[in-house]
Amino acid sequence: MRNKYLRIILLLLSLIITGELTAQNRFPKPEFESGYVQPSPTTPEPRAFAMEYFDVFILIAVLLLISYFIFRKRSRRGILWTSVFSLIYFGFYRNGCICSIGAIQNVTLTLADPNYGMSVVALLFFILPLVFALYTGRTFCAGACPLGAIQDLVVHKPIKLPVALQRGLGMIPYLYLGLAVLYAATGTDFIICRYDPFVGIFRMDAPFTMIVLGIGFLLVGIFVARPYCRFFCPYGVLLNWMSSFSRWHLTITPSECVSCKLCENSCPFDAIDIPDHSIQKKDVSKNVKRFLIFTLLIPIWMALGAWVGHQSHVFLSKGNSQVYLAELLISHPELKSDIDNLDIQAFLASGKSMDVLVEEASLIRNKFRIGSWILGAFIGLVFGIKLLKQFVYRKKEDYEPNKGECLSCGRCMDYCPVES
Amino acid sequence: MEKKNNIELLSQLALVVGGISIFIAVLLLLNYWNISRYDPLDSQALVALVERLSDEPDNDALKLEIRNLDLLARKAYFTSQWQVKTGGFLLLFASIFFVLVLKILYDMKKKIELPEVEEEKGMIDRILSQRWIGAIGILLVIGALLASFASNDYLEKYVAGSSEDGQTKIDESIEVIEITSSESLSDNQGLATGLAEVDSSVAEQNTNVDVANDPSLEGLASETKASIDASNTSNINYPDLNEIKKHHNGFRGPLSQGISFHKNIPIDWDGAGGKNILWKTEVPRAGKSSPVIWANHLFVSGADAQSRWVYCYDRNDGKLLWEHEAKDIEGSPASAPKTTPDTGLAAPTLATDGERVYAIFGTGDILALDMSGTRLWAKNLGVPDNHYGHSSSLLCWEGRLVVQYDTNRSGRLLALDLQNGNPIWDVPRNHKISWASPVLAEIGGKYQIITSADPLVIAHDFESGKELWSVECMMGEVGPSVAFSEGLVYASNEYARMVAIKPGAGSADIVWEYDEYLSEASSPVAVEGLIFLGTSYGVFACFDAKTGEMQWEFEGNSGFYGSPIAVDGKIYVMDMSGTTYIFEISRELKLIGEPALGEKSVVTPAFAEGKIYLRGTKYLYCIGA
Repeated sequence: MRNKYLRIILLLLSLIITGELTAQNRFPKPEFESGYVQPSPTTPEPRAFAMEYFDVFILIAVLLLISYFIFRKRSRRGILWTSVFSLIYFGFYRNGCICSIGAIQNVTLTLADPNYGMSVVALLFFILPLVFALYTGRTFCAGACPLGAIQDLVVHKPIKLPVALQRGLGMIPYLYLGLAVLYAATGTDFIICRYDPFVGIFRMDAPFTMIVLGIGFLLVGIFVARPYCRFFCPYGVLLNWMSSFSRWHLTITPSECVSCKLCENSCPFDAIDIPDHSIQKKDVSKNVKRFLIFTLLIPIWMALGAWVGHQSHVFLSKGNSQVYLAELLISHPELKSDIDNLDIQAFLASGKSMDVLVEEASLIRNKFRIGSWILGAFIGLVFGIKLLKQFVYRKKEDYEPNKGECLSCGRCMDYCPVES
Repeated sequence: MEKKNNIELLSQLALVVGGISIFIAVLLLLNYWNISRYDPLDSQALVALVERLSDEPDNDALKLEIRNLDLLARKAYFTSQWQVKTGGFLLLFASIFFVLVLKILYDMKKKIELPEVEEEKGMIDRILSQRWIGAIGILLVIGALLASFASNDYLEKYVAGSSEDGQTKIDESIEVIEITSSESLSDNQGLATGLAEVDSSVAEQNTNVDVANDPSLEGLASETKASIDASNTSNINYPDLNEIKKHHNGFRGPLSQGISFHKNIPIDWDGAGGKNILWKTEVPRAGKSSPVIWANHLFVSGADAQSRWVYCYDRNDGKLLWEHEAKDIEGSPASAPKTTPDTGLAAPTLATDGERVYAIFGTGDILALDMSGTRLWAKNLGVPDNHYGHSSSLLCWEGRLVVQYDTNRSGRLLALDLQNGNPIWDVPRNHKISWASPVLAEIGGKYQIITSADPLVIAHDFESGKELWSVECMMGEVGPSVAFSEGLVYASNEYARMVAIKPGAGSADIVWEYDEYLSEASSPVAVEGLIFLGTSYGVFACFDAKTGEMQWEFEGNSGFYGSPIAVDGKIYVMDMSGTTYIFEISRELKLIGEPALGEKSVVTPAFAEGKIYLRGTKYLYCIGA
């Protein structure tokens, strides 16, 4: 057993070395005159139109295949190999882009900025997994997402996190989603892409910190299964919502659950709802009162969140390059003479006046004022609903996957002794 | 049986693939080590050949040799790059394959575990979940509020038309006067010396000052024939040299030469124990500026990240007479520029002419206050790009305030009108940034402003700003100001040298050089044919001023950042631990005393009427016998 972990750690260390070694500086130009004319830089051509739709075709094919393996074959192995294919194709071949997770930002910016044109392919990558989730559960997470696939491969000794901790950490994806939408809507940044921990591994090139972050997630992922998917992924929030209402969903047992409990520890993501008989009727009646109180509290949480969001808008807006530049030049006007600061030099070369820059930055900050207000209210709403859900009790007798949380990986199916 | 065979096969396959992965990883490591050890850019052979090429620019055979060597280095580099990339891919594929094999292997080995009997605890989980969600919510609120309170809204503070346009206004307000010839200045109205009657009560009290007959006065003008811009200053009298010598009106005393003319200065005190401490008071904000004194007024500056202040104390009892905040100055930055802790924003020493006190801060703010603390004028010279912080002190003389304003991007030497801060002249300094301060010296009957920077020691005419002479002899980050005595200028800097310069008409010659004990921040002082110099590593040394020959050396407890002052036939210099070493001005080492302040200090002492004034990290001290 010890050798197993040693091998995995060696493997991950070698991945770090690979990433670091391939990120060396380029050789500089010769210093003396040789008559050689330096070619002017060229911009790579975009991916061929037909190939973009080929990516969509592959995505649909993968989603259908996963659904087939879940509902027809009930084959964990089939799902696993499909996810390996997705990892190679969408991850290493397509370099992690195009990506349904990042497409959230394209959609947001399209809605917020009429001048921004979103490609149909990006829209399809955003919609298709959600549509599939509405019918078949999170098949995208099961085998189409390269980020999920690479984490799934390293799951070896998953530990069971306390339920309360999982629910607490479950707030983070909502916050990440809200921030990603805010930053995209204000035209600030696509933070999901910027802080994608695995894209550096897919591309074999990234800043050292991002490589370390990616490797860190994989190391944690040995013991805490798919940590990015469960506690960070903003797209997972949307998929969770859709999957909760899915028409069909993966089931542990092909027919009737015999409550043998064999599948109880099969899910590394703790996404199986286990029948609980410890809750008494008197608890339920108490819960009704609390439910009503906490329902009434939701508007208060939202108002508090909105206020906190409003207070934070100055801080949040500093991530915008224009706001940052304007504030930098106000606070440090001497930097105008810094020829090494390319942003400042580009601004000076543009001929734009400081007043115009500040005016534009103020407009962006105003967008942040409104956006942060909404973000705060949204987080307040999520907070209220999460608290409220603790008072919702539904009686269950069977072992069932939690429709929202289940990543449809199919592991539990192998544990069920019931034959169809 | 078949399953067992498969498991066996997969185990062996995993071992092989794992071994290959490790082998590739080791090769990559070796390659990385090799690349990091051999940087083609640092090829000594190539550097030597390129150096030779500068001597022999027409040597075609040499050019060919360089090209061939350069090509070889490039080939080696790109081959290494190819190896790294190929090895990286091989390692990646081997690793993926390794993971898959392991995955299948463990799936095959996996057995369905019997369920553990766990206590059902639905209600407990729900209660704990509420707590966790609540805790995360509180953390978010606290984090967001802390971030919001820590954020400055600079956009809100911005006043339209006050930034680049404000900068332009500042630049426009500093009129760049064309350097005028000395002939043209002859029309200026000369002012007789000794006209200033700044503080008659003090003049009467100055019985301890022996100005006229002090032998160390040589080199300082006996009479000042100032030709001050008549349009600005025709009706104003400024203190002459005799008057200034009665006080301690700037960094290192009158004319910033490191010589004070007071007598009966104490040689023994104990800051911690209170011996001979007449008073001690805490300065509200930190600063590295040394005290300056005029009559009963003692001035220092202090600053923190939020504000910059000038403090005026009654030097007789240490009472804070007034304080003035340098704020609401057009062009002043909303947030202070970054400085290092050992410099800060209040490093330059103030200057005073008995009517006004002048201060400059690391923000580029410069201001004049009257003796009661009322602001007379203020302006911002442009926020300095200075990686340590601006530290050049002000020099006030004959109606002008001399400002050495060096930054990483450019440098200027300005003479501002004391009355209104308008520039009388403003000349660019085309050399590297310096932290030294200007020194005034009378050479050939005219006053020259002498400054030191990498690579020049340079002199400007006090009247016109015209460059009179320069010597290329300095290097590095120059901190010490120059010394002057008997017609020779002495400049020093650590890792460079100490030189004695003989200024002539339009040029100057190096008389001697020395390069062992050199000062980093402490300025040398030249007096009575000797030079005294303190190093940052604790050696204080004395040299013959004419030959540069070392007379003696002394090792203190700590390094010297504060500058030595020659006073009352002695040298007073304080090291960074706060110990003041008092030496006799002599070719023999004669340590008279080494009293301790009781706290650290990097400033230079000030003197008045038999008293010494010292500033520690926290407190200001008046010491008297």
